[in-house]
Amino acid sequence: MIKLENVSYTYMKGGPFEKKALDNINLEIGKGEFVGLIGHTGSGKSTLIQLLNGLIKPDCGRIMIDGTDITDKNTKMRDIRFKVGLVMQYPEYQLFEETVLKDISFGPSNMGLDNDEVKHRAEFAANLVGLPKELLSKSPFDLSGGQKRRVAIAGVLAMEPKVLILDEPTAGLDPAGRDEILFKIKDMHERMGLTVILVSHSMEDVAKLADRILVMNKGNKEMFDTPENIFRNSERLTEIGLNVPQVTKIVDELRRRGMPLKEGVYTINDALYCIKKALSKGEELC
Amino acid sequence: MLKDITLGQYFPGETVIHKLDPRTKILVMLAYIVVTFCVKNFYGYIALAAFIVVCVALSKIPPIFVIKGLRPIMVFIIITALFNLFLTSGTVVWQFGVLKITYEGIRFAVFMVLRLTFLILGTSLLTLTTSPISLTDGMETLLSPFAKIGLPAHELSMMMSIALRFIPTLMEETDKIMKAQAARGADFDSGNILSRAKAMIPILIPLFISAFRRADELATAMECRCYGVTENRTSLHELKFQKRDMGATIVFLVLTAVVIAINFIPSK
Repeated sequence: MIKLENVSYTYMKGGPFEKKALDNINLEIGKGEFVGLIGHTGSGKSTLIQLLNGLIKPDCGRIMIDGTDITDKNTKMRDIRFKVGLVMQYPEYQLFEETVLKDISFGPSNMGLDNDEVKHRAEFAANLVGLPKELLSKSPFDLSGGQKRRVAIAGVLAMEPKVLILDEPTAGLDPAGRDEILFKIKDMHERMGLTVILVSHSMEDVAKLADRILVMNKGNKEMFDTPENIFRNSERLTEIGLNVPQVTKIVDELRRRGMPLKEGVYTINDALYCIKKALSKGEELC
Repeated sequence: MLKDITLGQYFPGETVIHKLDPRTKILVMLAYIVVTFCVKNFYGYIALAAFIVVCVALSKIPPIFVIKGLRPIMVFIIITALFNLFLTSGTVVWQFGVLKITYEGIRFAVFMVLRLTFLILGTSLLTLTTSPISLTDGMETLLSPFAKIGLPAHELSMMMSIALRFIPTLMEETDKIMKAQAARGADFDSGNILSRAKAMIPILIPLFISAFRRADELATAMECRCYGVTENRTSLHELKFQKRDMGATIVFLVLTAVVIAINFIPSK
């Protein structure tokens, strides 16, 4: 679905503030995969996702989306953007229309669809992210932070992209809003077979949701593997300014103190199961 | 954060020219402008050229950056030159219908081009080697004597620094919003003028909203830190004249003397 070959990108090339953001990235993401993207600030995450829908062009290398080379001059960028939906950080700041429905319709109407189809898609997308119908005729500026965020996500979903990229969709939301948005994303991924790339600073969230995790460090691909294999390397992750889920830390500490537990445990259920098993094997504890 | 963004055309460095007190640079620049207009014959420009070349060399700025400063006013220079060339009366050198070129016209045109070029080269050297912040600091101290006659020197420079401070932020914001709307299929560069203007709405509205929000937040933050409570604010970066400022001033005075002396050499 997505394939990167030797992709590099430099900011302000040739100027006094030149900065290499991505260095020779090779990557392949399959159809319907849920990929978590983690890395400390400035590791190249945002650059990478902007490359994927053609907002910026790589200095060298090739990017293939669904069989189309988007680095090719003749590729129509807008078509790629409808295929790869990108929800940027704090997307509520891009809202501008008079009503929520109109704002969600901005994307699909840019696709040149007829009005009925646009309205249908907008209402469908609003429903997907859990926006009640009575909000659709309100001004987006009268909504709460979490609701605005949902309007912005719906605005991208209404284009019915095949790939959905979200850059920290839960930043600045309260725990309830965060869980709900993540649940909706997971739900859409499962029901519609959407390929999802989720950028997040929360190890717990990525661990819970992703099939595979891509770890970026200083513009390089550090690791790209299943959560289990990624969180085995807690030392390396800490070294590059990242972390492991809390439950992994607990299990690692228990193992260090002599409990026979496996490496790379990253969910609470898995930890519970392992600890129970380890306890029942050993002496009976009361 | 501000350090990572090219603002205006500041080219950071650690050279003597960069380290000069901004007040010295501003005053020398003002005097330099006067001197460029005092030059009466071509030898004077050789002295000015030497001065600029030495300054650029000392500042270690790639000459191409300095020359780039000329680009935006190139049209202006050419138009001025043409006007002078064709509209000055005097000894006719060449004539074609109503168009005529005079000896005086050529002389004026060349002088005008040289004057404007040196003017721009000099001023862009100032903005290339002085960060906007120290530039406003310098202006504030230079204007402070006028506070006695009611000129709000501090407020003016504060407004200027805030405006400068927010240029990169707003540029970043614009870039972000443009990308976000482009990701939703917005098309900024096709269609006629009307549809292009309409395509700006999805950028301008969020941009204005965020600018107002930021202004509001900044005002609150400043008030939280008691801005404006004390009469005489002190500065973290005290400006101090140093030996090199003295040196620069002397070099410049010598240049002025040379230019004036050259003015007495009769040119043909």
